[in-house]
Amino acid sequence: MFTPRTIMELLADNVRKTRNPFGLNKAGLNSWWKDSPVNQDGETLLFTGLMYQLVPYIKAATRYLEKYEDTPAADYLRYGKFIPKPLVNLGLKGISSRDDRSEFNTILCNIVKILQSSGVSFGYHPELDEYSGVLLYDMGDQENFVEHARYVAEKLQAAGIRKLITVDPHTTYALKVLYPKYTGISFEVQTYFELTSLHSGDVSSEVTLHDPCFYGRYLALADVPHDLLSGLGVHCEPINTSGAFTTCCGGPAESISPRLAEEVGRRRVAELQATGRPIVAMCPICLAHLQKSGAQVEDLSSILVQFVA
Amino acid sequence: MTKITPDFAEELKKYGDDTALICFNCGTCVAVCPLISESFPRRLIRYIQIGARDRILEHADELWKCLHCGLCTQTCPREADPGEVILSLKRLTVATWRNS
Repeated sequence: MFTPRTIMELLADNVRKTRNPFGLNKAGLNSWWKDSPVNQDGETLLFTGLMYQLVPYIKAATRYLEKYEDTPAADYLRYGKFIPKPLVNLGLKGISSRDDRSEFNTILCNIVKILQSSGVSFGYHPELDEYSGVLLYDMGDQENFVEHARYVAEKLQAAGIRKLITVDPHTTYALKVLYPKYTGISFEVQTYFELTSLHSGDVSSEVTLHDPCFYGRYLALADVPHDLLSGLGVHCEPINTSGAFTTCCGGPAESISPRLAEEVGRRRVAELQATGRPIVAMCPICLAHLQKSGAQVEDLSSILVQFVA
Repeated sequence: MTKITPDFAEELKKYGDDTALICFNCGTCVAVCPLISESFPRRLIRYIQIGARDRILEHADELWKCLHCGLCTQTCPREADPGEVILSLKRLTVATWRNS
């Protein structure tokens, strides 16, 4: 296990200085939209919260954390915040995989196709798309979370944004529940799959859904993707640990203890694989961590995009 | 020897939900917790109830093992919201670190 205080202070320092937890240059981090034709205007904004974009860097950083957990070298992490951010940027870019970046950017492009095919009117403005700060909240760094959340909420408000379309459970929870509570600023927030309306096609398949904790419990949205897929002719094989009683993928523990995250992930994969059906996730953290734990997992958008005409 | 802080639950109210005292220590949270280790989170809630503030802070790093998955809160028969209690303890610990 790493020292939580070290990890938390490093993440908080990165968010304060660069507005994302890894200290990455935003132009390099958020480039998926260049391959996707989207309007920039409109009061309804597609808001990715940069979570899918961050996953390739999380995967790369975790590979190194695994090597040093509970070794004397772990102590050097405390000096991480003194490394100039351009160097951090260069280092993480160097160790992250181009294939991973491409895979996670494709997911966002697919979500745009799904929304457009569903007749949803929306815009995307990379300048307004920011990390939500939710990791600071989860780690108990309330002071830095609220400061960052105010920055994001006020920026959106100043741009005249009233409605947000989200793509992951953590950002959805932050914007829908935490921002009104801690910044006093509210938006109408919906996930892309709540707005999806596609026609059943020739695709017929069976899957097992892994409901993320934040959709299954905190936001009570697990029925929506289930019903959406069933309506399209995709059978979702039921498991006991789903919906409000879903179990964690282990991903949230990766920065504190990769060993613990691996143990929790292995157990969840066993539950999901028991059905013998392909596994579908709808959270970038779950997707990456379940894949890392040995499962073949696809993102929900990869299934839905097959029904785009 | 552990020092007892009788108004610890009162102090914790500044950092989140005021629910720790309604827990009757049934252990459901322990049974469902993905960590499956050392009676987490029941033990920590018990420490709050008896005012064992120092004991919690001595072992504060453990709090960050919590995945914030919410399964304990979902299944708690007393609606004591163990997940949010753990989050409150994290906030208290962070404030203590930063003020020290």
